[in-house]
Amino acid sequence: MTEKTQIQISINDMPVECTVGKTILEVCQDQGIEVPTLCYDKSLSISGGCRMCLVEVKGWEKLQTSCGIPVEEGMEIYTQTARVSEARKSSLDFLLMDHPLECPLCDKSGECPLQDQSFDYGEGRGIPAEAKRVMETQEFGPLIKASMNRCIHCNLCVRFADEVAGTAEIGALGRGDETEIRALKGVVTSELSGNVIDLCPAGALLSKPFKGRGKAWEMESFETVDVMDAVGSPIRVQVREGEIMRILPREGEWISDKTRFAHDGLSYQRLDQPYIRVEGKLQPASWADAFKIIVKKMTSLKPSEMAFLIGDLVDMETAYVLRQLLDKMKVPHRDCREAGQYLPVSARGDYLFNTTMEGIQKADACLIVGSNPRLEAPVLNAHIRKRFLGGNFPVALVGQKIDLTYTYDHLGTNALVLKEILNGNHPFAETLKGAKNPMIIVGNGALTSLEGEAIYKTCRAIAAQFNMIRKDWNGFNVIHTAAGCVGALDVGFVPLKEGHDTAGILRGAKVGTLKLLYLVGVDNIPFNGLEDTFVVYQGHHGDAGAHEAHVILPGVAYTEKDASYVNMEGRLQEAHKIVQGPGEAKEDWKIIRGLSEVVGHKLPYNTREEILAELPISEASSMSKGVEFQEITRGFMKESDENFYRTNVICRSSPTMAQCSVELVSTAQKATVRGYEEVVS
Amino acid sequence: MKKNRIFTNIIDQGPVTLKAAQTRGDWGTTQEILSKGSQWIQDQVAQSDLRERSHGGEYVAKKWEKREAAYIVINACSNEPGSGTEKYLLRYEPHKVIEGALLIGAALGAHTCYICIRGEYLQEREILESALEEVREKNLLGQFQIYIHEGAGGTLCGEETALLESLEGRKAMPRVNGDRKLYGCSAVIHGVETVATIPEILRRGAPWFASLGTLHSKGTKLFSLSGHVETPCVVEEEMGVSLKELIETHGGGVKGGWGFFLAVIPGGSSTGFLPKEICNDLCLDFESLERVSSCLGTGGIVVMDKSTDIVRVTARLAQFYQQESCGKCTPCRVGTGWVFQLLERLSVGQGEKEDLDQLQDLLQRMSETSLCAFGGWAAAPVVSLLRYFQPELEHRIHMYNVASKRVKV
Repeated sequence: MTEKTQIQISINDMPVECTVGKTILEVCQDQGIEVPTLCYDKSLSISGGCRMCLVEVKGWEKLQTSCGIPVEEGMEIYTQTARVSEARKSSLDFLLMDHPLECPLCDKSGECPLQDQSFDYGEGRGIPAEAKRVMETQEFGPLIKASMNRCIHCNLCVRFADEVAGTAEIGALGRGDETEIRALKGVVTSELSGNVIDLCPAGALLSKPFKGRGKAWEMESFETVDVMDAVGSPIRVQVREGEIMRILPREGEWISDKTRFAHDGLSYQRLDQPYIRVEGKLQPASWADAFKIIVKKMTSLKPSEMAFLIGDLVDMETAYVLRQLLDKMKVPHRDCREAGQYLPVSARGDYLFNTTMEGIQKADACLIVGSNPRLEAPVLNAHIRKRFLGGNFPVALVGQKIDLTYTYDHLGTNALVLKEILNGNHPFAETLKGAKNPMIIVGNGALTSLEGEAIYKTCRAIAAQFNMIRKDWNGFNVIHTAAGCVGALDVGFVPLKEGHDTAGILRGAKVGTLKLLYLVGVDNIPFNGLEDTFVVYQGHHGDAGAHEAHVILPGVAYTEKDASYVNMEGRLQEAHKIVQGPGEAKEDWKIIRGLSEVVGHKLPYNTREEILAELPISEASSMSKGVEFQEITRGFMKESDENFYRTNVICRSSPTMAQCSVELVSTAQKATVRGYEEVVS
Repeated sequence: MKKNRIFTNIIDQGPVTLKAAQTRGDWGTTQEILSKGSQWIQDQVAQSDLRERSHGGEYVAKKWEKREAAYIVINACSNEPGSGTEKYLLRYEPHKVIEGALLIGAALGAHTCYICIRGEYLQEREILESALEEVREKNLLGQFQIYIHEGAGGTLCGEETALLESLEGRKAMPRVNGDRKLYGCSAVIHGVETVATIPEILRRGAPWFASLGTLHSKGTKLFSLSGHVETPCVVEEEMGVSLKELIETHGGGVKGGWGFFLAVIPGGSSTGFLPKEICNDLCLDFESLERVSSCLGTGGIVVMDKSTDIVRVTARLAQFYQQESCGKCTPCRVGTGWVFQLLERLSVGQGEKEDLDQLQDLLQRMSETSLCAFGGWAAAPVVSLLRYFQPELEHRIHMYNVASKRVKV
């Protein structure tokens, strides 16, 4: 029997064809018919509590909750009858009964669904009501400001914490009109907690850092892309008078708290002009002077005595231009893998997250090796959790024991277990064998360890063994933590045959074989004992790199330039110039273009378009063939105690993130350990 | 009537051991009935025209339309003010409930039954548990599993989907799409009285049951009489018995005589009040009560004489509903509190006549737009107050305004 998938219904006497299984609301939205709703979000479960989406269905006695009722053949739906608009008015009356009339004070005003809908569908008058409900002030942690009097109990935040964030930290306590929304521990520790601010339709949960700083209509919105992790979340940056006020996700996406709140780091510790170290102290200088010193040093050295490193936030253009310069100067020592992870670059698929975020939904088994996706890429972790909740998705982890918000088999912290899986001697090998679309995720914990190469190759062998790499499915994934890494790998910013990689360069600088170290935005490596090496730092924040530098060249950050980034899935995305960089700071590629002229290897790029035309942009994700196998001998992997709120130079300069790391990390770590023990028991 | 009674032990209040129950006829021919097959049981119940003995009075045969279910859920969780029948059944006839569960399970091919019992019913749960223990010892259930689930209770559990949510371990809140599945499998939900009635129907035959009662309400029903009657009691009577007769024969009459009678709640507080004019010749069956815009409900009759402050009673009921509302949907969550606040005011007359219109409007919207039936239940007593006792309310408002010198006499 073939099931009918298309059915005929009518909405407001207009015939509509739609798919079985959709709800009335979804069909109306597809047709562009407006049905107001306050408690509905397409990625969360359905509550049906707000009663704004009521519609009339012919032959059904009561008004129907359109967000929860699936369409049926021949349904006649009416969304604009007098009865429906009466019901909407009535629901708004009930909602506004306890809602304080403080719109002029409220940050939500101007973008508040409750306000908009009261305006569009409401009575247009207040009704004499009894005493308003007054709630106690609730504490939601350093990021969320709660004004519970405004709460309309849509339960969106509760459902979000439960279903997407997976931390179940927000709950609705009590019942009836004594229901209270509360953060159960007085703090929301999830890395995705900021999303409840966008979800809240009534201004009850607001952004604490943004509190009282502006209104929606005063700000201009620009679309760009985030660089706090390698997911490259699409974001909207809102600006007032040349200052970034806040960052929001684009429609229908979740973003991590770091993406949302770290932008205040862009106004602290910035480098606004070149500096030169004179007698051990940094002195402001002109661009010409700074270049003069660098050129003097460079021309006195052999190419093999210089090394160039690229950091985590560097865009693709810079990497490309710098590579062209280095090719001309014949400098062999260069690397973009700041964390020192092993990654082959012969084929693009070798270092990408090949399954892609959407692809995770098709997977049916997952092996994570040496990674903590919850902290390294929270949005990605939410995708894995979504798949996990879909059921029938065994997950196993080799590496540090952590709370990933879903249950998994912990196969130990030693990578030797991978050998057992490869040989089929491990129970999880059976699971992988039985799976149709198995996936493996390799993270920095494995790749940065001493045996990174062997672990990588074993993982590749596992991928081949369990048929993960096929024409229709690619289950081999590398998790990146740096937004610029994939782009730089795409342009091939890796050491030449005789050159050193990151670890080699640092060693060389320490023992003194390398006389000049040129850092482009490299801040996550602890530099010490580099007395004899001349260090040039180019970047936007005065952090670890700048502290050691002899010459500092000020660059601009991701919101201050037009630039290309490639995310870990291999998708090219563009960041846009939204605000002006501070002082004399310039785009990184322009600095290198300028430098190329003074060192005598002038590069032919005068505009960004000229670089874009040459960029090796590819969508291919082919894998290299015949990766030779390498045995893991000891299998120790790196354990990371990295602080989620302090991973890059922008976060480290951000007061909000500092606050979070003080208030949340200790709580989160405690919760992680406890949460995991609960899961296991 | 006496020989037609099903729940004899409710009157006698004798022991509830398996042996005592067997002497009353329970478990007598169970194996024989079971051997006749599920189809026979379904047919018998369909022929008997048995209706659900709580809220809506849905036909059981209609509930069994799909003819199979994985789970049977027995709702002993939904008690509302005024009804005591459930409690009495669990206390004095636990074996009928268990036997009924087994027979329904056999009829629908279910493998498990959950009896959801309120946490407050401590004694009843113990009785039920020991009865279940005895039955298991004698291996009367076979493969059929019965579990007693202690719920946090709440009138809202009368809403079937809310009961299922509670059983699945979540807050008792109704489901938006009316999905009646338990753990993803089909389930049939019955009240305690319905379940306990079924063994007797199958033993004595559907024609016997159908010969009792009225056209649309067959059989007998438990009524609990409370309030201003001389002897409050739980009693079984034929459907269609007149209210006056019931009060006079079993309740010993209204305190102060029929002349002193003010109003009655015919079946639990969500059925509203009926004043004396209507009660004079009121029969207790589904259709007669529907005719007067009320409902038989659970059969919990609360009688009120003229010493009752009917507005305060309504305010107290409104408070009950305010506390029992689950808080999921807006009209019910806010509306019940609003109604309570208004009634608190009106019970001393503090207000204007316009408040009554507002109240009326509010109640109408509450029952129209709420997610589940609870909004309607909560509105019902107040609606009936406005319908039958509006002069009383207006009088109070007038007196209050006179006393506070806002209006001249």
